[in-house]
Amino acid sequence: MAVQTLDISPVGRVEGDLDVRVDIEDGVVTRAWTSAELFRGLEIILRDKDPQAGLVVTPRACGICGASHLTCAAWALDTAWQTELPRNAILARNIGQLAESMQNIPRYFYGLFAVDLTNKKYRQSKFYEEAVKRFAPFTGKSYELGVTVSGKPVEMYALFGGQWPHSSYMVPGGVMCAPTLTDVTRSWALLEYYRNTWLEPCWLGCSLERYEQIKSYDDFMVWLDESPAHANSDLGFFWRMALDIGLNRYGAGIERYVSWGYLPHEDKYQKPTIAGRDAALLVRSGIYDGKTDQHSPMAQEFTRENTSHAWYDEGDADVHPFDRVVRARKKNSTDFERGYSWSTAVGHSEFGRLEAGPLARQLVSGGTHGDAWQYRDPFILDMYRRLGGASVLLRQIARMHDTINSYRQAERCLREFRLNDPWYIKPKERDGRGFGATEAARGALAHWIEVKDGKIKNYQIISPTTWNIGPRDNTGAAGPIEAALVGAPIADPTDPVEVGHVARSFDSCLVCTVHAHDAKTGKELSRFRVG
Amino acid sequence: MANLLWLQGGACSGNTMSFLNADEPSVCDLVTDFGINILWHPSLGIELGDNLQKILRDCVSGKIPLDIFIYEGTVINAPDGSGEWNRFAGRPMKQWVTELSTVANYVLAVGDCATWGGIPAMAPNPSESQGLQFLKRDQGGYLGAEYRSKSGFPVVNIPGCPAHPDWITQIIIAVATGRAADIALDELQRPKTFFQTFTQTGCTRNMHFAYKVSSTAFGQRKGCLFYDLGCRGPMTHSPCNRILWNRQSSKTRAGMPCLGCTEPEFPFFELAPGTVFKTQTVMGVPRELPAGVDKRGYIALTAAAKNAAPAWAEHDIFIV
Repeated sequence: MAVQTLDISPVGRVEGDLDVRVDIEDGVVTRAWTSAELFRGLEIILRDKDPQAGLVVTPRACGICGASHLTCAAWALDTAWQTELPRNAILARNIGQLAESMQNIPRYFYGLFAVDLTNKKYRQSKFYEEAVKRFAPFTGKSYELGVTVSGKPVEMYALFGGQWPHSSYMVPGGVMCAPTLTDVTRSWALLEYYRNTWLEPCWLGCSLERYEQIKSYDDFMVWLDESPAHANSDLGFFWRMALDIGLNRYGAGIERYVSWGYLPHEDKYQKPTIAGRDAALLVRSGIYDGKTDQHSPMAQEFTRENTSHAWYDEGDADVHPFDRVVRARKKNSTDFERGYSWSTAVGHSEFGRLEAGPLARQLVSGGTHGDAWQYRDPFILDMYRRLGGASVLLRQIARMHDTINSYRQAERCLREFRLNDPWYIKPKERDGRGFGATEAARGALAHWIEVKDGKIKNYQIISPTTWNIGPRDNTGAAGPIEAALVGAPIADPTDPVEVGHVARSFDSCLVCTVHAHDAKTGKELSRFRVG
Repeated sequence: MANLLWLQGGACSGNTMSFLNADEPSVCDLVTDFGINILWHPSLGIELGDNLQKILRDCVSGKIPLDIFIYEGTVINAPDGSGEWNRFAGRPMKQWVTELSTVANYVLAVGDCATWGGIPAMAPNPSESQGLQFLKRDQGGYLGAEYRSKSGFPVVNIPGCPAHPDWITQIIIAVATGRAADIALDELQRPKTFFQTFTQTGCTRNMHFAYKVSSTAFGQRKGCLFYDLGCRGPMTHSPCNRILWNRQSSKTRAGMPCLGCTEPEFPFFELAPGTVFKTQTVMGVPRELPAGVDKRGYIALTAAAKNAAPAWAEHDIFIV
């Protein structure tokens, strides 16, 4: 059977503009290319601006992960200015980060991902009718609940930051707020609401405490069979339907994972430095190599960007973000040899390309590196090993599982605040280099800043989607999503819902149109409707 | 029943995220209770690829009546006016904007990027961004000063970075329930019902403003943010302290200076060195004074305020 090429521009329900091209042979994707189609040039805008400009501009890089950008921007300046922070400020930043992630989880799962389970392709599944009842856009029972409850955690954010999205309440030296007792008690009430309205009754079908007993794949199976409430919860139902429609059978990717870790401990990072970050994190950073089953440390100096297949005129060599000067290519015509994306190819100087995201975060947190006081959770790593690697299904399970730790960490922040202690220590402005990182809901996010002569000399951002959506690098190696698309079965080339599943399983920040072309002639074969 | 189409250009999706926070009505309520038919939205739409293009083409041809066209993000013209740096559904987004604006009954620019150009249009504006009918304070923008949608309205500007969900949903409902004639616009084409008042209107720090008691650094439990920390609340038109954010608070209530994000000049001073979170002063007097106040009046007012200030005003008030 001849190779078919599908050009998909845009793929919706990803943030930003994403185009995908796939080659299909015998109904299976054999090669893929991903293109980011929007360039705003925020790094260019930040040149020569006030050192604190990143606190205003970078949350607006992404409306979904704005608190995560703010977190990075603030820590990057803290390390550059060599500030000191009060413990309350660290906790107040962490709770903002966590609130944003808890918002994102139901919003992403119901709003962006699960609606595809109502695709007519799955009409033959015995789960289809129920999936429509739960997940149909706007009217599905769980859809409506999930989208509505997603606004609750960010009410908590507003109590500390004033509003979500787009606050700038984290500043070098601490935070702008000085919360009162009722800000904390209201936050408790909002957390409880999230748990009692959606997390326990709808998503888990059991108490958090029961779910937290799950430490392995076998534990999960016991839980699933234990009660109809578990099997019929959205989690149980999704698991069963996903197996029925084969979401466990494709979307593996490059099998190497990166996490920056996040949530600095309030007593261990009051004098932040780039080098001291990893040892101070509640949730560890690291790399997990699924091929060798080995964990390794991650540090910012290993980061490399490559623009050999991106729309930048910056040469073909790998560069560290501190050394990068963004030069956008004026003529951004699509050429799969020279350039086909605004995303760079991000990699590790030794490990090469890495996948970022909640799956990566969970796989890293299953390792034995780091200290005993740090968060450790073997469940997803065990499931990865038992299932023989990643898939569309496992990415969803990992992402939703992550909610539980976010919830518990938010509770911890509320317990640890000492309301009468300080929230801010005024820093001294100075020149220097800084690095700030976090785990956004969708994965590893980092900022690099160089301040010189009292203004920004260089500002670089690498988002989780940059790790995942990047094009080929100078070795020809495919990016994580490009790799994950390979092997995806396309049952109907006029309706490649599987491409959407894979792209959205990374929770990319992107958008796509679909044309079908004959690979040899480039002639369009058909136009089709997806949905 | 009203057909609504929402597209994003040079955007961060922040207005979409804000919109999804809506309550009373929620986004789902808009659909189920108010009969808003969301033809497509980047984060909510089912269709992709050619199916989406068909919807867009049917709107342009008039086969699908387009009641409300919402645009989020800037119109990107780079490089060289071609718009190729923001391609969508097979061609530059700006071409879709041109065609859809011609057929739409109402066009809503949501957020600063779509209204005035916002962050992407900051110097050096690498993406050659414009708002729909303004660039900063200059009327014109991408569609031109003379542009009117089919209903006779110019672009309705709902600024803010992001816009509050209520500002968006209430205007949608006004259109859907036949109250569009009551939407009065100011000279920047913002609905007066939201943007006649100031950010300061309803701020919990108003007593400190009145007695000129300043928050001199972040994290304090008293004081107004205008005198030292660069707050633009007295000069900015918004209902941020009348219609609270996320039902709970506002930036100024939480201790963050207003950045003036509902005004066309945001981000002010292009974030030049020394301008961020610091009140700009000339001889100790703020360079920009509360709306309508002149320098002499300001000096007299603050001198009197200082003299009249009661002792409690200098003590912590937002206490644990």
